[in-house]
Amino acid sequence: MTDFFATNGFLIVSMTLAATLALSLYLPLMAGQLSLASPGFYALGGYIAAVLSDGKHFTWSGQTYPVPLVLLEMALAGLACAVLAVIVGVPALRLRGIYLALATIAFVEIVRVVSLNVEITGGAVGIFGIPQPYDDPSKLAYLWIAGPLLGLAMVFVARLERIRVGRAFTAIREDELAADAMGINPTGYKVLAFTLGAALAGMVGALSAHFINTWNARQGTFDASIGLLAFVLIGGSRSFLGPVLGAMILTALPEVLRQTADTGGLPAWLGQFMKDGRLIIYGVLLVLGTVFLPQGLITPALFQRRRPSPVRAKVEPPA
Amino acid sequence: MLQQVLNGLAIGSVYAIFALGYTLVFSILGIINFAHGAVFTLGAYFTYTLLGGAFGFNGLLANGQLGLALPFVVALLVGSGLAGLVGVGIERLAFRPLRLRGADPLLTLVSSLGMAVLITNLIQYLVGAEIYNFPSDIYGTLPKAVNFGTAAAPVPVRTVQLVIIAVSAAILVVLTLAINYTRFGKALRAVAEDATTAGLLGINTDRFILLTFFLSGSLGGVAGTLIASSVSIAGPYFGIAFGLKGLAVIVLGGLGEIPGAVLGGLIIGLAEAFVPPQYSGYKDAVAFAILFAVLLVRPRGLLGRALIQKV
Amino acid sequence: MSESAVPTAAAPTLLQAEGMTRRFGGLIAVNNVSFSVAPGEIFGLIGPNGAGKTTLFNLMTGLIPATSGRLRLRGADITRLPPHRIARLGIARTFQNIRLFSNLSALQNVMIARHSLTRTGVVAGALGLPAARREEAATRRRALELLDLVGLADRAAGQARNFAYGDQRRLEIARALALDPTVLLLDEPAAGMNPNEKAELSAFTRDLRDRFRLTIVLIEHHVPLVMGLCDRIAVLNFGQLIALGDPATVQSDPAVIEAYLGSD
Repeated sequence: MTDFFATNGFLIVSMTLAATLALSLYLPLMAGQLSLASPGFYALGGYIAAVLSDGKHFTWSGQTYPVPLVLLEMALAGLACAVLAVIVGVPALRLRGIYLALATIAFVEIVRVVSLNVEITGGAVGIFGIPQPYDDPSKLAYLWIAGPLLGLAMVFVARLERIRVGRAFTAIREDELAADAMGINPTGYKVLAFTLGAALAGMVGALSAHFINTWNARQGTFDASIGLLAFVLIGGSRSFLGPVLGAMILTALPEVLRQTADTGGLPAWLGQFMKDGRLIIYGVLLVLGTVFLPQGLITPALFQRRRPSPVRAKVEPPA
Repeated sequence: MLQQVLNGLAIGSVYAIFALGYTLVFSILGIINFAHGAVFTLGAYFTYTLLGGAFGFNGLLANGQLGLALPFVVALLVGSGLAGLVGVGIERLAFRPLRLRGADPLLTLVSSLGMAVLITNLIQYLVGAEIYNFPSDIYGTLPKAVNFGTAAAPVPVRTVQLVIIAVSAAILVVLTLAINYTRFGKALRAVAEDATTAGLLGINTDRFILLTFFLSGSLGGVAGTLIASSVSIAGPYFGIAFGLKGLAVIVLGGLGEIPGAVLGGLIIGLAEAFVPPQYSGYKDAVAFAILFAVLLVRPRGLLGRALIQKV
Repeated sequence: MSESAVPTAAAPTLLQAEGMTRRFGGLIAVNNVSFSVAPGEIFGLIGPNGAGKTTLFNLMTGLIPATSGRLRLRGADITRLPPHRIARLGIARTFQNIRLFSNLSALQNVMIARHSLTRTGVVAGALGLPAARREEAATRRRALELLDLVGLADRAAGQARNFAYGDQRRLEIARALALDPTVLLLDEPAAGMNPNEKAELSAFTRDLRDRFRLTIVLIEHHVPLVMGLCDRIAVLNFGQLIALGDPATVQSDPAVIEAYLGSD
């Protein structure tokens, strides 16, 4: 049994980090905002951690990088991303629907291209040899930080749904104009939701930089946005458990496919396909998921005994 | 200076052609087809194969090669046509089931992204991820470059770029004429305006949607081929960047506006061409900076209509 | 209310529209409409379909910007304010097409409208500090009171989308009342009601006005209801104000008769 955790330590931590990142997309979604900006903040958070731990900023003794410094980096990354989110969000969040999604795509791409060209990020090569807080080859030890991070994020989001601010988010998501007429400032709360998501993504990024040990422009891409979207879609967008579950399943899936292929008992071509064609399967799942599971796996219907609400077509004006 | 203008026009006209694929679908269905970049890629690969190009060492079809080599024009047409058929397939599989259910446009967006992931990785699975270069003699006996300057101050312009500009211009003219002056074009605009009424007037909306996707896919395929012939196929993902830039083009021009796609494409192409050499690494960010700026300042773009929300 | 408008002078007028106009391209939906509403009045706004009544409401609540003209609350100019500021100043409304938060419960719908009267932030709320919990309980209590007032207390947990049309209208009123407003704008509150319900609505509206010291402006199609309920009535046609006065005057105004019945 311990063997399983040893070999899959990397996967388990990855699943945990992915689930937290999915929550960073869920937060703006609570206010009805489809933001694909998380990968940009994730990348920024990682760079902040990578640069701060390069030896020129902090000093430490011993073989491993002190955990308190990792936590400090995460806090700083969260803060920096929050500030950037307000700057970017206040103008951008006046947009609705597809226009907002496009603005966030543009943001992620700009961050990516800038990080490819700027010296401090190591340009296209990136930053290598980021110090490790744990001397654990299986990397399972990272769970000491990743686990509580996910736990706290989940508790926070769950609480949010029950309090005044969360109600404001939900009202905006349901009907922004009616919410406005009921005394809720839509832009203010949309920016708040966006900023909370950005801060969370930044913190995950900072931790991931240590976890993966290197960091470069490939960490925050449009592809990553698609991945996150898939987590929320497959998992379900009406409850915070949806993105968490979706993230864990979809992160584990390629690895599970690979290991199943290796265990034998499968025809050779199928095994090979499961290994090399993992992303094909991923794409197929995405298409099938939207067609057959529009509410995702975790639907409100699971918790109440009601029919899921039908989804209506909307074409939104830009702002 | 002339060099940069021509560069800008060349790349800009390909952006325009590509963006038209987005625009056609958006004007009919009100959604963005995120698989368009993948169709662009496919068009390039199809044409490459039809030109007799050989595949690399990786992938299921390693070292495969079509027995024959078609002339460039034929390969372009057939390759683009095949891309168009793929576009139709995407419509049937990813768009239609959701449309029939009246699903949220967001879901269609994700579904098309899924198709993009599927197609792109299928290409990689079949033919690997190497760079493919088009044969250098595809334009036959035409010279490699044309001198636009004088013998004393030569301004060489690659023939490829001239071909691109010429082909793009031809396509745009044909398309504009078709849309504005033929029955087909008028019906297309009717469906774009109001599908229900168009249906009531006897137009087979379903068929028009198929035709639109075919046309859109073909345009994507043409764009992919033109870029591939001018630069190279940089791997199965080379359409993704284009796909994203295409979004900047259509927002700049105005979503759903055909002249807007052309205008937007040329503007972004020229903007990229005039990036000073010391900042060339930032070239790719130009389109996205423009996209972001347009969304903040004038989301409807240059030629889009202002939309009023019903209260 | 948590904010108060600064009065320019002691004014017997609570709400004042001055030359309100709204153009949509070539179409003038509301054309130079002026009227004033006294505190405690029940003021009716009637007119044929398409006369611009709901557009006027949208102008008054900031959902659409006015092309020109002013709106004053206790003398202070509120014309350019966004909807949430106007709500905080004490003007609440219902919608002609009912804009409830359909996937939420009745209770949540009403609790949401308490937003501007409460202040718990995201940190205090997430941590569950005592003050936050107290405020949450108070919000809940108030919402249940209002639901009880409109007779929906037993269905507090029901999803708004599942309510019958008439109940949805009542829920919208409860929600509007949760803003502790001084002015209540009702957009066709009697739509879809039978004569009995209409009579009940009349009595209920008067009761609301007395109990909460409200000033009420209502748009209504059913002319007898309006004549019986309102202290004064404004009549719109093609965006223009064609009559203003007490019910008897308006009823016998030839311009009004012509607008509704057409000229012979």
